[in-house]
Amino acid sequence: MSNNETFIVGYGITKFGEQYSTNPSSSASTAITSAIHNAKISKDLIQGLYFGSLLSNTNLQPFVGAEAARECNLNVPISKVDAGNASGAAAFHQAFMAVKSGLLDCIVVLGTEKTSDYVNSSKIEQILGGTIDYLWEFEQGATLTSLYAWMTQAHMNEHNTTLEQLASVPVKNHRNGVNNPIAQYRREISLERFLKAKRISDPIGRFDPATHCDGSAAVIIVSDKFVKQHSEVEQKAKIVGSAQASDKLALHHRTTLSSLMATKVASKNAYSMAKIAPEDISIAEVHDSYPIGEILAIEDLGFFPKGEGGKATIEGKTQINSDISVNTSGGLKARGDPFGATGIAQIIEIVQQINGEADKRQVDDIKFGLAQNVMGTGASSLVNIFSNMEDDK
Amino acid sequence: MEPPKIWRERRGRYLGLGILCHDCKTKSFPVTNYCPECSSEKVEEIKLAQTGKILHFTKVSQTADEMMFNAPYIIGLIELNDGIRVTGQITDTKSEDLKDGMNVKMVFRVLSKNGEEGLIGYGFKFVPS
Repeated sequence: MSNNETFIVGYGITKFGEQYSTNPSSSASTAITSAIHNAKISKDLIQGLYFGSLLSNTNLQPFVGAEAARECNLNVPISKVDAGNASGAAAFHQAFMAVKSGLLDCIVVLGTEKTSDYVNSSKIEQILGGTIDYLWEFEQGATLTSLYAWMTQAHMNEHNTTLEQLASVPVKNHRNGVNNPIAQYRREISLERFLKAKRISDPIGRFDPATHCDGSAAVIIVSDKFVKQHSEVEQKAKIVGSAQASDKLALHHRTTLSSLMATKVASKNAYSMAKIAPEDISIAEVHDSYPIGEILAIEDLGFFPKGEGGKATIEGKTQINSDISVNTSGGLKARGDPFGATGIAQIIEIVQQINGEADKRQVDDIKFGLAQNVMGTGASSLVNIFSNMEDDK
Repeated sequence: MEPPKIWRERRGRYLGLGILCHDCKTKSFPVTNYCPECSSEKVEEIKLAQTGKILHFTKVSQTADEMMFNAPYIIGLIELNDGIRVTGQITDTKSEDLKDGMNVKMVFRVLSKNGEEGLIGYGFKFVPS
């Protein structure tokens, strides 16, 4: 593997939520421009734009990346990377590989989504159908929520996970989200409210899923060569591990529903690249699109043994400044889930935490932070690991 | 759903088909030109077992417009008696009357309706047996 080192030198993010007055490209260009300002670099230094978006380039939306580049007057190659609702992290992984290989030295990575134009939720269900087996799951009548219901049932059956343990995931994440200025929902929701909510796809309740929304996020990745040539540019975090792995697209083809194999493989490879173990991670942003998503993540990433994720969560072991601080941003649940933007927003939370910029949600003494982004029910999973700059200074 | 797609998929959707690989003897679903396990092209189309049991089920209330005529409906993960697993709706019943492990059989039903004038999509579903 190449010895080139890669760093994040800037980030930019819009508020997440229903931004009816903002069009897709202006949301995207706002994130790109604020990342460039944050990095304090000239935009002429940028050599490429990688972006992830679930809706862009579908029959619902034009090529948002190209429109955003036009608004920023960025005359660089533009690549859309697709991994369904994990497209943001997938774009980041591809950009990382381009810089790591030594071919490019400065790339802006964008995650962007504009879902509020589609007020008929059937359209969004159909788009999300593309992140599962469209022919033999979605067109047979399954939806992303119903498949997550089966995964929740499997975990409850095999590991005695309870509804209280499951609900303690969004309770914690909403509590964290209160202190995140860009979050869609900055309010707490009680455990009772989650438990009393009507079941939409039993055992998943009405308040359990993260809600899709609008938002954009961007980061700038540079090489060590770039850092040497531009010593005035501040490095905010070092990328020490980055990996993507796949699993069978349909649940009916998998051997287990209570574990995400793609997350296991991706994290194993990312830990090995970073030469660290799960115990070294202080903070993690994980894909909690449904409560079971976070429980599967903290088990499959190796933070807790299989079957103990629910227990660990209800005992407060994933709260801010506990055993491991999980979803300090509020996660997809409280921050809102603009699909393609989510993966980059997770990375920005880690970078802010590493730099002590997270205000009331700040975690102490962070050495390593991890972000995990999942497509559909886990057909693809991305794990990116970052370290602080202490050792390099 | 577009007419060419409904036409193209009609056999697999109507009959419930899979393949048997003559090299590695694996049965798989859905129909593919090559064996997904060993990539052999010596594959034969087979009809899936018509009976099986429920592994998981839940309710769907919000889905694509074309399937909303039927919502809320029950969607199940079914293990057929030939060992193949498929995803399908469980119909002619209420979720209160269903349990994991219950036996079901395959039936032929309406899957999607494309408005008042579009084509009707048919496919296999399951009923308790």
